[in-house]
Amino acid sequence: MKNIPIDINESSLVVMDLIFKLKIRDVMTRGLISAKRCDSMHHIQQLMKDNSITGVPIVENKRLYGIISIDDIINALEHGYRDDPAEKHMTTNLVVLDEDMPLSFAINYFDKYGFGRYPVLNARQEVVGIITTRNVNISLLMALIKEIHELESRIEPHPTPDNTYMLKEYHVRQYGFDEAGKASNNLKKFLQEHQHPTRLMRRAAVAAYELEMNLVVHSTGGTLTIIVTQEKVEINVVDHGPGITDVEQAMREGFTTANEWIQSLGFGAGMGLPNARRVSDEFDIESSPDGTRVRSVIYLNPQDAPAT
Amino acid sequence: MNDARSVCCPLIKVARALKAEILYQPHHVSALMVCNVTATDLMSDVLVVDKDNILLVTSLASDQAIRTAHIIGAVAVIIANGKNLPSSMLQVAEELDICVLRTQLPKFETCAILSRMLRIP
Repeated sequence: MKNIPIDINESSLVVMDLIFKLKIRDVMTRGLISAKRCDSMHHIQQLMKDNSITGVPIVENKRLYGIISIDDIINALEHGYRDDPAEKHMTTNLVVLDEDMPLSFAINYFDKYGFGRYPVLNARQEVVGIITTRNVNISLLMALIKEIHELESRIEPHPTPDNTYMLKEYHVRQYGFDEAGKASNNLKKFLQEHQHPTRLMRRAAVAAYELEMNLVVHSTGGTLTIIVTQEKVEINVVDHGPGITDVEQAMREGFTTANEWIQSLGFGAGMGLPNARRVSDEFDIESSPDGTRVRSVIYLNPQDAPAT
Repeated sequence: MNDARSVCCPLIKVARALKAEILYQPHHVSALMVCNVTATDLMSDVLVVDKDNILLVTSLASDQAIRTAHIIGAVAVIIANGKNLPSSMLQVAEELDICVLRTQLPKFETCAILSRMLRIP
């Protein structure tokens, strides 16, 4: 398995851009924990333990001489040479990276050489840091998060047909009296902002409100969709039941199935559906035990309204 | 009392006559005029009214009173019988910019005073 599961030749453009744009110096650990050639293996073991690391470069005067990894320490423990100097057991066949290289080099090195860490040198061949797969993963993740935020902020809002200037869907809960009416109030505010005639605004808002309250009072919850175009306000209500047993009866004023509790809240007088129909230019209702659908249309230009 | 009409009266003057306190006051309160009154605790009754410059007189101290008033474009809501209001009610009033008043008078007396104020002499 690859150390870093990124194909540096064929990834998405964003990832490719990142791994070439980020330099090793942006990713590496700078506060380097190192040891000297004369330090004992035991001392280095302690350094690893105290700092939770698995490799210690051997550095003197910023010059890199070798590296002791956790494998070397295990060997020292196994063969009993814990007090030997590092110099004697360090890896000297070193693969290093240059701080100016792009991150893609590091990813490539991790796969190519299989080491867990690479010392990083500057142009003067001085040790300036160390890079591990953890550094790469964290910096890539951070850079990707930033990039995704950037890309998301550029996403255009959901395109709506040219002549639609409001399209909103509200989920309405049964007995959700705290929120009840919010959708209709929003519609009213929207129409007010667009300075529609007072009576038209009232009719549209009343239709929406009656239907919204119906969802709250009578359904087990549903969806209220409001579409406003230049020509009309269309309110679509879909609920999940229990359905209206006798639609014709429900359309009659004063017929109600609401209980006293709901009536004490000022609703359920049996006027909702008839009133919604009264203020609508078009009104359709269909109901079954699976749910009820209501569609109400109010034309914003009176001449568009069908003759009644 | 749905139809006390024909004479309009500034809301501020109405508030004074009803000894009402203003609990939420939109910035344009001095420009508000009352021309019609609807008095009911049943919001369904309010929703069938098709008039302008309505003052809603109610004892229903709930968010729905404010929301309903906003829907029909009422000028203000006056809570009768000095009822206590839930705090959410004033938040909704502020959000929808609907003036809210409260009077200690019962609904009937409130209506009687409004009737005298708004009827043609």
